[in-house]
Amino acid sequence: MARVGVVGIGHSRFGIREDASLRELAFEAVRSCINDADVPLSDVQSMVVAIASDELSYALQPSAQVGDYIGFHPKPSFRAEAACASGSMAVRAGWMNIASGLADLVLVVGAEKMTEASTPDVTEVLGRAGDFLWEHPFGMTFPGYYAMIARAHMAKYGTTEEQLAAVAVKNHKYGALNPNAHMRKEITLEKAMSSFVVADPLKLFDCCLVSDGAAAILLASEAVAKKLRPDPVWLSGLGLGTGSLALAHREDLTSLEATVEAAGQAYRMAGIGPEDVDVAVVHDCFTIAEIVAYEDLGFCPRGEGGPLVEHGETCIGGRIPVNVDGGLKSKGHPVGATGVAMAVEIVKQLRGQAEEGRQVPQADVGLSHNVGGNGQHTAVHIFTRA
Amino acid sequence: MQFRDFSLLVRDTKVRGFAEGLERGELRASRCVGCGAVHFPPRSDCPTCWSGEFTWEPITGTGRLITYTLIKVPPRHFAPDLTQRAPFSTYVYAPTAVGLVEMEDGLRVMGWVCGVAAQNLHVGMALTPKPEVLDDGRATIVLKSEGC
Ligand SMILES: [Zn+2]
Repeated sequence: MARVGVVGIGHSRFGIREDASLRELAFEAVRSCINDADVPLSDVQSMVVAIASDELSYALQPSAQVGDYIGFHPKPSFRAEAACASGSMAVRAGWMNIASGLADLVLVVGAEKMTEASTPDVTEVLGRAGDFLWEHPFGMTFPGYYAMIARAHMAKYGTTEEQLAAVAVKNHKYGALNPNAHMRKEITLEKAMSSFVVADPLKLFDCCLVSDGAAAILLASEAVAKKLRPDPVWLSGLGLGTGSLALAHREDLTSLEATVEAAGQAYRMAGIGPEDVDVAVVHDCFTIAEIVAYEDLGFCPRGEGGPLVEHGETCIGGRIPVNVDGGLKSKGHPVGATGVAMAVEIVKQLRGQAEEGRQVPQADVGLSHNVGGNGQHTAVHIFTRA
Repeated sequence: MQFRDFSLLVRDTKVRGFAEGLERGELRASRCVGCGAVHFPPRSDCPTCWSGEFTWEPITGTGRLITYTLIKVPPRHFAPDLTQRAPFSTYVYAPTAVGLVEMEDGLRVMGWVCGVAAQNLHVGMALTPKPEVLDDGRATIVLKSEGC
């Protein structure tokens, strides 16, 4: 199969960006991506944009704002959407654009402006990513769904609230070193444990941030990638899985079927296994989600995700470093941008360009894991240097 | 930002009889006329045999709590300034635990936990799903403990 390479990466600062509009955030990411690739935008043939929510942007076709502002028209562009996994859908669509032969240089942009809406409104919109007809009426929110997953995991495997908090402590430790992170400060286990309850057993520090931001990558066909730079990172494995709308319909509440499916596809396509992954970014929208991801991705046996993080095995120097960019937890989660930002981070790691203190040594294989909703869509992408 | 009241959504579906049943004190699943599969939440269309015909099947007996939470930060439609009250939800944000019980036949029912404080809940405990008519005449589903 023809290979698709990443030849440019760009990332805006994540945070409460009252200083910038959606289109301006996207521009920041595209400008740094184009500069990184050292390719004029006029050479780019096609674009895919991920913006998760019409409700948060108060507009239909918000991708048109991006295309217009970067001056892309009249070239092809469309939007990809799967809630918090929208960014990875755009990456996938970008890959398909190239693999199909439609184009050989494709820009993938993810952006979201979330902080203009009030917290109850954001909670409402995100909660409705689940089964809004039958579960949302019980006040089920995003944290509520993951709280139920956490409670089931705790009951089945003895996972503790301290282990959940350990995920937050780790991710904040690395986020503090990431200049693009929303919340650049370390937290203690005590602080995480004593924060207020959002949805029992999840506390404030078990939840990711509501952020504004954008990210972009430039994808190229093998021939073009090799011409453009000596060190393209290859998008070698793609997996996409889906899961039930209602949490109640999950056979096992402690696992996301969509992740297991997506991971299987991606590992097979890349011809590797979980033991070959040197660095991973996983969808830690809530701390429990990271622990479930370890298990669903095969980084540890079922039920051992809690001990894995507790024993530091997902820190740099451990068995498999995870979310050393700060994760959604500390770097932030502008939903449409997240999947693209994950690709940016893995490429950065594989190029050896991560900031001091958060670069994984000799990283040749990286994995991104991006969940839409509470497991309705999951994308797993594998990136390699070779 | 305004969202449609979810109850109106149920009333605009082919399973609108569910909401009517609930108000009469009946908690019901749908049974596919084509293949006999029982679905909860109810659905008019069967994804197994593709039949569009169904009958109502009462859900009775006691289930086992498989997970639960207590939501402290509510979504917009639970915010105190809500003007339109939802029929099978509580209308103000009052911390009540939400649970998911699994019945003997495998059906799972979500509801408000009644009669047990959140800190006393545990996975595996017996709870009985029942319709409950609220003070405002609207109906919801509660998961009742013994003596509730
Ligand atoms: Zn049927």
